[in-house]
Amino acid sequence: MKKDIVIDKYKLTFLEEAREILVELEAALLALNENRGDKELIGRAFRALHTLKGSGGMFGFDELAAFSHNLENAFDEVRNDRLSVSSELINLSLEALDQIKAMLDEATGSGTASRAVSSEILAKLRQLTGKAEIQAAQTSPPPALPEVPKDAARDWHLHFGPGPDLMRHGANPLLLLRELKLLGSLSVKASLAAIPPLAELDAERCYVTWDMVLTTSSSREAIRDVFIFVEDSCELTIEPTAAPSPGPVAATAVAPIPAPEAPKAADKKPPPWGRRATDTPDNASSIRVPAAKLDQFVNLVGELVTVQARLVEIALRAEDAAVVAVSEEIERLTTALRENSISIRMLPIRGTFERFRRLVHDLARDLHKEVELTIEGADTELDKSVIDQLNDPLMHLIRNSMDHGIEPPETRLAAGKRPSATIHLSARHSGASVLITVADDGGGINASAVRERAIEKGLATADAQLTESEIFNFILAPGFSTAQKITDVSGRGVGMDVVRRSVEGLRGTIDIASKPGAGTTVTLRLPLTLAIIDGLLVRVESAYFVLPLATTLECIELTSLDIEKAHGKHMANVRGEIIPYIRLREYFNMKEKRPEREQIMVAETESGRYGFVVDQVLGDHQTVIKNLGRFYRHVDLVSGATILGNGTVALILDPHRLVRDAVRSTSASPHANVRTTGPRARSAPAIAMACQ
Amino acid sequence: MRLEGEISVGSAAELKVALLQALASETDVRLDLERATELDVTALQLLWAAEREARRSGKAFELTPSVPPDVLRVVGEAGFENFPFAGAAK
Repeated sequence: MKKDIVIDKYKLTFLEEAREILVELEAALLALNENRGDKELIGRAFRALHTLKGSGGMFGFDELAAFSHNLENAFDEVRNDRLSVSSELINLSLEALDQIKAMLDEATGSGTASRAVSSEILAKLRQLTGKAEIQAAQTSPPPALPEVPKDAARDWHLHFGPGPDLMRHGANPLLLLRELKLLGSLSVKASLAAIPPLAELDAERCYVTWDMVLTTSSSREAIRDVFIFVEDSCELTIEPTAAPSPGPVAATAVAPIPAPEAPKAADKKPPPWGRRATDTPDNASSIRVPAAKLDQFVNLVGELVTVQARLVEIALRAEDAAVVAVSEEIERLTTALRENSISIRMLPIRGTFERFRRLVHDLARDLHKEVELTIEGADTELDKSVIDQLNDPLMHLIRNSMDHGIEPPETRLAAGKRPSATIHLSARHSGASVLITVADDGGGINASAVRERAIEKGLATADAQLTESEIFNFILAPGFSTAQKITDVSGRGVGMDVVRRSVEGLRGTIDIASKPGAGTTVTLRLPLTLAIIDGLLVRVESAYFVLPLATTLECIELTSLDIEKAHGKHMANVRGEIIPYIRLREYFNMKEKRPEREQIMVAETESGRYGFVVDQVLGDHQTVIKNLGRFYRHVDLVSGATILGNGTVALILDPHRLVRDAVRSTSASPHANVRTTGPRARSAPAIAMACQ
Repeated sequence: MRLEGEISVGSAAELKVALLQALASETDVRLDLERATELDVTALQLLWAAEREARRSGKAFELTPSVPPDVLRVVGEAGFENFPFAGAAK
């Protein structure tokens, strides 16, 4: 039925908003834990709960509303200095927050919320606040706000005019009136003068305005709090009346009654504390779009880019100035559109990072460790789909650090460290990549233990010469764990494998660095976007390849004379700097004779500068990345393919992996040892990976 | 005309069409709210506008006597004092 659909739409909006509010609430609670006296933070938590209660009740989530209300009451006590912020309160609030989350999940049919848990939390809350009157979660209408002695009661005149869109946003003014009534005795007068003739009436708009006299002991703030989530879209004045309660106002329904006192203009502008908890200053000019629509949009732009490349080819062949002009214009527009569509998908990583505060807080409590999470570069922007897939690997890395890396406070003190450990999350841009690091100041990785375990598992031979970073990479192998005991948190050897898979799925790389006793740093290098990149199109014989433009530094010529000078070694002298190179023709086993003049593309890879020798550099190319599909998923030198204007397929090469693979597979040839990744493994003192 | 269940913003557009049709017909309008569980402000203002229209064109717009208490409560809470059926039902 139509009605149901409309209601569902509102409910969905509420569910979405509620989740945002929960994120805000969680952030406020965790910040409050660090800074317990902060009034501003207490206010933030209170407002988040209030909004949750109010809009929850309004959309028929009565249970959720009642539950939040009890929590809100507790924070009201805190706000009024009747209750202090304790770890108990924070932990309990966090638990309650999870319960609210479960209720939301239940509403979307993706889980169930246990009533027993609800009552348990409420019981604890009751104990904490010492208040007996907190009601069980089943009672639906939220009872009155804080009580003040009755003799403080006074009359307020309220004028409430819903904005034209108020109903469409799913708000129900009648519920607001009902809530007002709970504050004291209320007489309501509807003004119906603005209702137009039936035929001209917009059925979903509220034309009615209300004048009310409320006799209550609540403050103006408490009254305004009732309207907190519709405040932006309504007209509201709250004025104390001079006279004692005159009783119900007698006036005709048609004529609006004159206000007992002229409303002061100053009261119309929203006060600073009336702002909704989730509002940010630029909120008004942004819209909410389902992610799927955005994905579709980017896909379409991708198709457009491919077609545009074909147009360029055809235009060039047609040798018609008019066609060329149009094609160039379209190229310009497509480029702009592409950049635009990618920027739309870019999100700051803040949300993902901030979410881990909770994880760190909870784990530290469970593991009896003291850990502080510091965050840097939270405003670094990444493609939405990359961010979406980053949560799991980061979670595993943090869990691993907390369980294995960070020592218990006593051990830390004995080692001359601060008892409280730090996990540092940071993000920064580096060319077309983003570097995300998870660093801890824990015990570090015991390289020799890892090495032994790797040999035991047959991942390496006993006499293999391994660099430290090669050894650390074993940690990423499936089922690899040096932990002697499996804990709840980690040790099953699954976590790091998940990290590796997710990061490789994103075409990223992992680098692990560790100093015994000083900590471990894991760096993830991830591409900025997964959809479209700027590439450099090159040709070897009749095959086309694309190299990411962001990593390439320059193109230079390679003649037979240069090769002769280098005595056949794969080295080029670029303005005095010796740069090793990889000849793609040889690397890919292409048999034809190489041309007299070749070109070297110098690229900055994570293993240093390397050159890639190709027959011809054709120019830059907007590359829409296509997945190669399951069949080729083990080919990691190629990060995808793209379709060129003439319909041929070009493989997109991953320079980092290409170099790594070339160094490994040609280790017998003289150029291979020019650069290796990281220092050789030294016999590090055996410091066991922290694990009780 | 009979209204059933929850009459709110979701069904307001339908109600408007129904009321317009009822008013356009030759007969008087008789509204049965017996099975209505909930009216919201959009429903109230539609009914209010329809009643005004009916009065203007000299038609009767009346209510069956049995209005559920919940609906009456809403009317009272909303402060619709001169509402046609606020009197009619008493």
